[in-house]
Amino acid sequence: MLQLVVAGLTVGSGYALVALGIHIILRATRVINFAQGEFVVLGGLLAYSVTNVLHANVWLGLVVATAGGFAIGLVYERFVLRPAARGGELAVTIVSIGCVYVLLYGHSLVWGSLPLPLPYFSGGEADVVWRAGGVQIAAQQLWVLGFLGLALGALAFFFEGTTYGKAIRASANSPVGAALVGIDVDRARSVSVAIAIALAAFGGVIVGPITLVGGAAGVGIAIKGFVGAVIGGLDSPVGCAVGGLLVGVVEKLLEGRLGYGASDPIVYGLLIVALLVRPQGLFGSRRAIRD
Amino acid sequence: MSALLDVASLDAGYAGLGIVSDVSLEVGAGELVAVLGPNGAGKSTLLRAISGIEATRTGGSVRFEGRDIGGMRADRIAKLGLVHVPEGRQLFTELTVDDNIRLGAFGRPRAFVERALGEAYERFPQLEARRTSTAFALSGGEQQMLAIARALASEPKLLMLDEPSTGLAPRIVAAIFETIADLRKRGTSVLLVEQNAYLTLRVADRAYVLEHGRIVLSGPATELANDARVRAIYLGGSSEE
Repeated sequence: MLQLVVAGLTVGSGYALVALGIHIILRATRVINFAQGEFVVLGGLLAYSVTNVLHANVWLGLVVATAGGFAIGLVYERFVLRPAARGGELAVTIVSIGCVYVLLYGHSLVWGSLPLPLPYFSGGEADVVWRAGGVQIAAQQLWVLGFLGLALGALAFFFEGTTYGKAIRASANSPVGAALVGIDVDRARSVSVAIAIALAAFGGVIVGPITLVGGAAGVGIAIKGFVGAVIGGLDSPVGCAVGGLLVGVVEKLLEGRLGYGASDPIVYGLLIVALLVRPQGLFGSRRAIRD
Repeated sequence: MSALLDVASLDAGYAGLGIVSDVSLEVGAGELVAVLGPNGAGKSTLLRAISGIEATRTGGSVRFEGRDIGGMRADRIAKLGLVHVPEGRQLFTELTVDDNIRLGAFGRPRAFVERALGEAYERFPQLEARRTSTAFALSGGEQQMLAIARALASEPKLLMLDEPSTGLAPRIVAAIFETIADLRKRGTSVLLVEQNAYLTLRVADRAYVLEHGRIVLSGPATELANDARVRAIYLGGSSEE
């Protein structure tokens, strides 16, 4: 049981980062970006190229994937989301779903359609495993949780503690007010999207050594991240992180009893239950439902 | 010597819908100029077309310190020192009072921002007591003070206020007008749009009357206050006073 919880928190970290990315993009553009899962995959694949093609170490892979995610995010906002926004919010949502397939097939053209391995952060062919009280914990699982904590801390510092982070929040809160105090709202929006995509790519690299990278995993990751965001509260960053982790844990617990893959319908069922029972999410405010 | 703000034959509106037509007005350095007019006359549209938010300019020109700012992005215009407190205030309701004021001085050095914060609280001690609450939690009067404080944080050369007295209790309205009169005394130029003609003409140097998107009357505030038409429509039997 505890074993499954640990495994759940590990995959859940990926969902949490996706959920946070969805939250950040939703705040900035009022649109749910369903392509978020594909950027997780892309991050993992970029890191694969760095480690297995260029034979550099995984840390460089992590840096390249995260920075690459940020740059791709800028391009994605400027040349995909922003032009689509002229057609309204629904148009952008549909475009983001279209991007899922463009990226999915784009990835398989470059990297093939089979999942690829990423090296463990601690090095070696097999990961280091500790046993404590009947529970096995792999080093990579600790890396994942540690890096999730690091990412959450960095985000909190940026959005709560820096002037530009606050300017981004202000731009989401009142774009007109932000423009009137001299904030370049378009730029704030691109930076938000870039941060969200960088987070997704970062997530792909840290979870990648456990889950493998590439293939068609992106759609499932995006939907589970979205379910996590709804359960936790789309308008609450803390809620998104907790919701993502929760989805991971529920998924692994169910898989433990029902077998691999059987958990998906129940996880998606959770979405419906959450919307019926507490539509604002665990940490969300009621005001968010209106928006 | 050209005026600080020089609007010439301005036509403006929204997506093909013309609201303001052929409006010319000037605000000189240190002047407090008012635009009066009934609801729907186009007063807010006029300010929006000047500051570059929402409304679009379809003809004429807007010059600030001699520079053509028609078509310039709103954030660039704000950076030039022309700051607009819009209708509905557009505060950052999810951020604290402190952060709202600090962002008013966005892009300035830290020392400038901290000094602006101190000055804002000196001007509005009521806000200092609520510095860590969100703007959402403030009363209407406090929100208006915060909107003005945020705009003043960048030390604008020209402040444009859109109906700062709307929806506020008379005591608060008096305090807001005191603030406006004080700004003028300290040399900040103000373009004030109002429905409260009585108080406005008491603090303004000059005023324009806007009706159906056109300027129908203009002159020194004292003259307009005695004008028969203005008295009849805005000062006389008006139920707003």
